[in-house]
Amino acid sequence: MTQTQPKTWDVAVVGAGMAGMAASLFAAERGLSCLQIGNGGGLLFASGLLDLLAVHPVAGRRLWDNPFEALAMLRRDQPDHPLARVDDATMRAAFQSFTTALGAAGMPYAPPGDRNANVLTSLGTAKPTYGVPRTMSAGVGALAGRPPCLLLDFRGLREFSARQIVATIGDRWPGLRMARVEFPGAETTAELYAAHMAVALESGDFRERTIARVRPLLGDAHAVGFPAVLGLARSGAVHAAFEEALGVPVFEIPTMPTSVPGLRLNSALEQAVVTRGVHRMLRANVTSAAFDGTAVLTLDGVPGGETVSARTVVLATGRFTGRGLTAGQQRVTESLLGLPVQQPASRAAWHSRDFLDPAGHAVNRAGLATDDEFRPLESDGRPAWPGLFAVGSILAGQDWMREKCGAGLALGTARLAVDRIARQLGVPGPLAEAG
Amino acid sequence: MSASFLRMAFLVSLGLCALGLLWRVSAWLRVRIGPDARDIPFHQRLLAAVRGTLATLVSRRTPGVLKAFVLDVFLQRRLFGGSRLRWLGHLLIVNGFLLLLVMHALARLVTAKLYPDYASTHDPWLFLRNVFGAVVVVGIVMVVAGRLRRPPSPPRPQRPMDRVFTALVAVVLLSGFLLEATKVASPKAFYRMANEYIGSTDPEELLPLRLAWATDFGVAFPDLQGAPDPDKLAEGRELHHDACASCHSPPGSSAFVSYPISRVLAPIAEPLDGIDADTWLMYLHLAACFLGLILLPFTRFIHVLADPVSLLANGAASAGPLSPVGRANRRALAIDACVDCRLCDDRCSVAPIARSLGNPALLPSHKLLATHAVATNPRWLDRQAGHARRIAEGAVLCTTCGRCTDRCPVGIDLADLWVAGRADLARAGQPSPAQWVRERSALDWDEALAVQTAAQNPVGPLSSRRETYSACVQCQTCTNVCPVVAHGGEEPGGMDLTPQKVMNLLRLGMIDLAIGSGMVWDCATCYQCQEHCPEGIRVTDVMLELRELGYRRLGDTRERRQRE
Repeated sequence: MTQTQPKTWDVAVVGAGMAGMAASLFAAERGLSCLQIGNGGGLLFASGLLDLLAVHPVAGRRLWDNPFEALAMLRRDQPDHPLARVDDATMRAAFQSFTTALGAAGMPYAPPGDRNANVLTSLGTAKPTYGVPRTMSAGVGALAGRPPCLLLDFRGLREFSARQIVATIGDRWPGLRMARVEFPGAETTAELYAAHMAVALESGDFRERTIARVRPLLGDAHAVGFPAVLGLARSGAVHAAFEEALGVPVFEIPTMPTSVPGLRLNSALEQAVVTRGVHRMLRANVTSAAFDGTAVLTLDGVPGGETVSARTVVLATGRFTGRGLTAGQQRVTESLLGLPVQQPASRAAWHSRDFLDPAGHAVNRAGLATDDEFRPLESDGRPAWPGLFAVGSILAGQDWMREKCGAGLALGTARLAVDRIARQLGVPGPLAEAG
Repeated sequence: MSASFLRMAFLVSLGLCALGLLWRVSAWLRVRIGPDARDIPFHQRLLAAVRGTLATLVSRRTPGVLKAFVLDVFLQRRLFGGSRLRWLGHLLIVNGFLLLLVMHALARLVTAKLYPDYASTHDPWLFLRNVFGAVVVVGIVMVVAGRLRRPPSPPRPQRPMDRVFTALVAVVLLSGFLLEATKVASPKAFYRMANEYIGSTDPEELLPLRLAWATDFGVAFPDLQGAPDPDKLAEGRELHHDACASCHSPPGSSAFVSYPISRVLAPIAEPLDGIDADTWLMYLHLAACFLGLILLPFTRFIHVLADPVSLLANGAASAGPLSPVGRANRRALAIDACVDCRLCDDRCSVAPIARSLGNPALLPSHKLLATHAVATNPRWLDRQAGHARRIAEGAVLCTTCGRCTDRCPVGIDLADLWVAGRADLARAGQPSPAQWVRERSALDWDEALAVQTAAQNPVGPLSSRRETYSACVQCQTCTNVCPVVAHGGEEPGGMDLTPQKVMNLLRLGMIDLAIGSGMVWDCATCYQCQEHCPEGIRVTDVMLELRELGYRRLGDTRERRQRE
């Protein structure tokens, strides 16, 4: 990094999950000096699929082919939903920049369009999503057209069973077959781990030995599905090599978290933000913050208890898993700044009586209430501090897991917040791509 | 003492010395250190040694060998880099002794042949003998002073033979000076010579010569007190010039060490003559020399031979890597090449650990002895009652950083020796903990530990705290990034446990089961797991702590079982 560390950062992003990464990336692309603080790791649980919005309303489990139509409906039905505040242009620009950056960092995505895609999961179900990694995109067509296909798994890789997928979906996909192969060099190993296989397959030797075992099994298959182990840092090249050697489209099927695509996403995003000049303090934790003309954040995990100052702060600390919110005995609190949390009136109202209630649980819509610029509000309804923004799953009024809008929520809110920050700091507006 | 007896004694000593040397030198080809040396037959090693010697003498590498000879053997360059005082002292001792040996001890064979008019009591020989003797004494003083100035280090077990030899050297030096001093002052020696060369022992007849010798040579005639008659003295000096001067230089200035001693002895010259002190001192001097000669091959002073060989071999080998046979020879040579200078101990990376554990077996100088002993005597380790584990600790904790090798003034490849020695220790029943923990399964260890009461079980500050691992969500990230899991370990079927399973065992309070697992002991401590853990769990630190606990607890259990 050639950029020197400024005394006061334009933006301090707290959090290194999907939303924190997106905010850092967008801020850096805007030419803002950006400091990112906090432990990574949340991204490891990502599947690599980028959902925009697929289900609305959750109670009716209505699936949408076109996520932008779903967004329009959401704006009408739930104007307080964070995504209702993100316009289509901002959302498209967010996905465009994000997937372009990932592609440059070695994790290419199919170009985002207007449609949701159905991806075959390791359970044999179809998952609607928006952004699909190139290594998985052939599976979307296969699942849609259901030509004769071969699904492979590896003995010892316990988290993935092609047999289970065929058992689940086979009656609706007559040409679907499965086969189990030995992973080269692991013939006596009882248990295999996806990440190690992925690294091994980056070497030509392992790849060729694997391909040699798969080729005789091809038969009439129009496409071949593998568990998502085709390379780690160079998945694009590994995937291409498999397609070339087998002569048919090859697709990965996402595995259970923590999965190889999650590792890929994590390292590709790290690379993307670092090459754009974001300064990262991964081992540090923000312990307190004071707001005046600028924000002064106190860090631990840094020798001497360093403080940093920033003109604006983006809170991307996540919900309960990311520890942005703390669920106490009676109340949900915001962990870092003690901001007011919009939440059910009492503990009794947190959860529905039915665990699998289609409408979800009220506590999963708890979070920070914000204005239209994603600035968290104090109890008097005014922004807590003019330069403080909150993005991602910490925001109130959404249930991203059920709505299948995790990436849409992270990217869309981060993009909009960064647009507002740029405007506040007097930085020229979004480039033409936003149109 | 007859000359023939002397010659006989000398030849016998020389023969015994030669046999001893042959035995010791043959050990350089016989001793097998390390698994790769085990299957190399004697004749191959002999062949390699002969070939190496020839290659050293005539080859493209000759310039390197010459350079090594001049800088390393002759000027002892590597010692110079360590301590100047010690270097100078050592140089004085070696060269003083060497010159004494050639000029004085081997006078008949060397000096007298080169200088037909050689006489030990005539200058420059008398003077030079004193110079060389003084040089050795000064060298010894410097080395001893250097030792005293160094911070105290734990004593290394010494061979009793080394002490005997050191004492013999002192006897040789001391008796040499005393012998010379006694002879200077001795009237009896005077009469013996007068009888031989003038044919008279009559004190009156020899009075002029006696006056001259009392005045100029310091012979302590009890009857000659006070100022001598100048005429008689002149007459005596003339007689001296004719009869004695060709063999005798005045010792007052030449024998600058023994003459002052003779002045001290002068008052008791007569009683000394009465007990034939000069003869006995001569016996003592020669006996010490001969005994020293016989013992030399069995002391660490064999290094006078082993070091040049080691250094020259280094000079010859510096062009490329050694063959396995060459390496085997070098390892066997190491024990004899070591001069016990302890410079390796000063540079040892784990010396601070040796201090904090109070275990000198970690130090290179100690390990060298242990490595050699383990390789040459299969029962040696068993006889180190209670110390075997400490010796094994020394081998395990060594990081093979190679700083000792860099420092060794005689060019021993110590780091290579440590690696080879580990394998020998393992064969002798003291493998590394990571190896012996595999003697039984984790379940077996767990069972064995369950017999102990909780009070005996040390706990670790990290692993005993629930908070350390309570945040673990079993996401498998640690396992995914673990290179040891990726490699699969030594057993078929891969690692018995993965890092995340170890964490899970801790969560379940099953620490005894965790510390016997292969994962804990094969952990490469690369810290990938700890760096990647999304929950910030100190996975690697926990692994290290489990190892520490395991070493103590399983080690005790293993020892108890071995005793039973």
